[in-house]
Amino acid sequence: MAVGNPPVLAAGIYPGLPLTDARSAMPDLVAEEIDRDSDARALKELAAWMVRFSPLVAMDGIDGLMLETTGCDHLFGNEGGMASALSERIARTGYTCRLAFAGTPGAAYALARSAAAEHSPIILPPGEERDGLAGLPVRTLRLSGPTLTLLRRFGLTRIGQLYSLDRKALSRRFHSREAAEAVCLRLDQALGLRAEPITPFRTPPDYAARLPCPEPLTDGTGLQLGLDQLTGELCGTLSASGLGAQSFVFHAFRSDGTASSLRVNTARPVRTPDHVLRLFRERLDRIDPGFGIDLLLLEALRTSPMETGSRPLSGDLAMTNSDLGVLSALADRINARLGEGHVTIIQPEAHHPPDAAERRVPFCGKLPEDVTPPETLPGLRPVRMLDRAERIDAVAEVPDGPPLRFVWRRVTRRVVRADGPERIAPEWWTHLPPANGEAAALPRTRDYYRVEDDEGRRYWIFREGLYGDGRGGAPEWFVQGLLA
Amino acid sequence: MTASGHPIDSILQKEQNKNMSIETLKARGLIGPVTAAPVQPAAFPFGLGLSGVHEVAEAGYGHWAAATGFVLATVQPARKGTCLWVSQSTVGLEAGHVPTAVFREMANGTQPRLSVVTRKAAEALWIAEEAIASGGVRQVIAELEEADFTATRRLALASEKHGVPVTLLLPHTCTGATAAATRWRVGTRLSSTNRYDPRAPGAPRYRAVLERCRTAPMAAGQAFDLEWNDETLSLHMVSGLAARPAAPRPAPAFGTAPHRKAG
Repeated sequence: MAVGNPPVLAAGIYPGLPLTDARSAMPDLVAEEIDRDSDARALKELAAWMVRFSPLVAMDGIDGLMLETTGCDHLFGNEGGMASALSERIARTGYTCRLAFAGTPGAAYALARSAAAEHSPIILPPGEERDGLAGLPVRTLRLSGPTLTLLRRFGLTRIGQLYSLDRKALSRRFHSREAAEAVCLRLDQALGLRAEPITPFRTPPDYAARLPCPEPLTDGTGLQLGLDQLTGELCGTLSASGLGAQSFVFHAFRSDGTASSLRVNTARPVRTPDHVLRLFRERLDRIDPGFGIDLLLLEALRTSPMETGSRPLSGDLAMTNSDLGVLSALADRINARLGEGHVTIIQPEAHHPPDAAERRVPFCGKLPEDVTPPETLPGLRPVRMLDRAERIDAVAEVPDGPPLRFVWRRVTRRVVRADGPERIAPEWWTHLPPANGEAAALPRTRDYYRVEDDEGRRYWIFREGLYGDGRGGAPEWFVQGLLA
Repeated sequence: MTASGHPIDSILQKEQNKNMSIETLKARGLIGPVTAAPVQPAAFPFGLGLSGVHEVAEAGYGHWAAATGFVLATVQPARKGTCLWVSQSTVGLEAGHVPTAVFREMANGTQPRLSVVTRKAAEALWIAEEAIASGGVRQVIAELEEADFTATRRLALASEKHGVPVTLLLPHTCTGATAAATRWRVGTRLSSTNRYDPRAPGAPRYRAVLERCRTAPMAAGQAFDLEWNDETLSLHMVSGLAARPAAPRPAPAFGTAPHRKAG
């Protein structure tokens, strides 16, 4: 048995008792199996919902949450107001909680685990950790089991007893130096003498705007209006700092303890409210108001300075910044509707084989620089290149002749005119020289032919490999593209 | 004030005391915008790539490359400004994509090209409309499986309003009326004789039939036999009759023809 509610504990059944003994003590006991996975998931959902109180939320063990409340308590008046708001809201979700406010995470952990009770949160003013923690048991200092046993053997059961200890004496008594150092570290962290950064479960945003709703929102128009107002406010803040953001997240917190969020990404940093609203508009109906939304939060992530347009010297030759801005706005709208990465631009690569010479990359607001100037081979390159070369059955003169007849997509085509071969060797520098017997794994030279069939259709065909090059069996024929 | 007999002048004279500004004149309906719809030229290519929505369909299965070549040569999308190339994924599976080298060479320019691949034709048409309305794109080329009247009508209105030409590439199975200004059927023909090697394919040739033309209905049904010259990078018309190279015949022996007297 791991945990029980007050009537069970009052009947003398303590955690650690086997279930059969507990059942014999209290026959009508209701027991549930421990399911740590769903517990963890529920804790994560609760942590996501806690974002409404503070942007920095960290998981604390399997049943606790640590919130960084610096700068958040003024929204509720003072820490007492925040404590009562927290307990009231959490009570609505159905959980019970024990709250403690302190100046250090270690002190808050210790107080919440031992001194705080269900409806009486403890608020320890910063600077009073020594007095506040003196009477708490040592097990709340987050030490390992063997260390705790050792401390108990020395009779050190309260944190106050550790204050006046001689550190060197402690390290002599402990068998391992790490245990002694751990005790000192945890003590110093709890007292605020050493730093303890908390790792939040998600990176906090750089800028955020919140809108509490006096009455819970139940329909889409209220959501739209709230989003308009928040976007205006957030974009104003961004403009004032000269920044733009590439990612906007909109959270809607419902009054029953659940939250839903929408995320919008842009190719370049933006701060125009109209553009952001347009991107959200497509997806706003995915938020289900449920029992009512009582807080809206809009966050801006990935902020960076916005480029102020500088005009190039010859405006008609170069793309101006405003053109690229308009194009990225268009790309954002298309990506918002279809999904990320749908708008692509061709990035030339420094490879000479024709199927590796360029790559489609998602458009991110900038034109790709030319790696190498494109070859001008008029008439020698296909106007349509298949994404994957398709195998064909071809009859050709050995060793170098163009195909005389081939079957592609189950249609036999008779070749009337042909030109070739254009020999394109693979990039030998990307493959290591083979060990003995591995020559078959190397890529093969390709001979490209331009052929025309009796109906005028023109193809770009290649033969993979040469006869007798020792890199595999007989060469195979493929269609790479269609010529104009 | 000019003393012409224009009705506006009389009204202006009548109400000299009032503050007649352009806004009030517009509000009263006395002045209107001075724009006229661009005139579609009555000669080849009948506005293809200049204004409005045009359709280019392949003449039969397997002529998609000819249709693409025709579009690149006529429309020349890389010359004017950013081009948006929208294609449906089924078209990509059938006929692949257009590599940059050919795009730049046949369209004779260096402007960038954004491409989007979608699954449905409706999405492709929506993207085309958004691109027209955005103002940053100067040309839209869309490869679709089908296009119906209502969708092309919206596209035509948007294209006219913003002045961005749209070209649709359609497969051979498309039939039916659409709101496009012209519809072409392009098929490939045997290429011309290669000057350097008689066994090699020469310059590509197409046969483009103007099926429908809204602005010049008399021209519908005309067939153009075109050849793409890759040195001058232009299309020009060729005679439709000769389909094979001239048969070689022996040169006349020296001395058989009588000498011609000069003078």
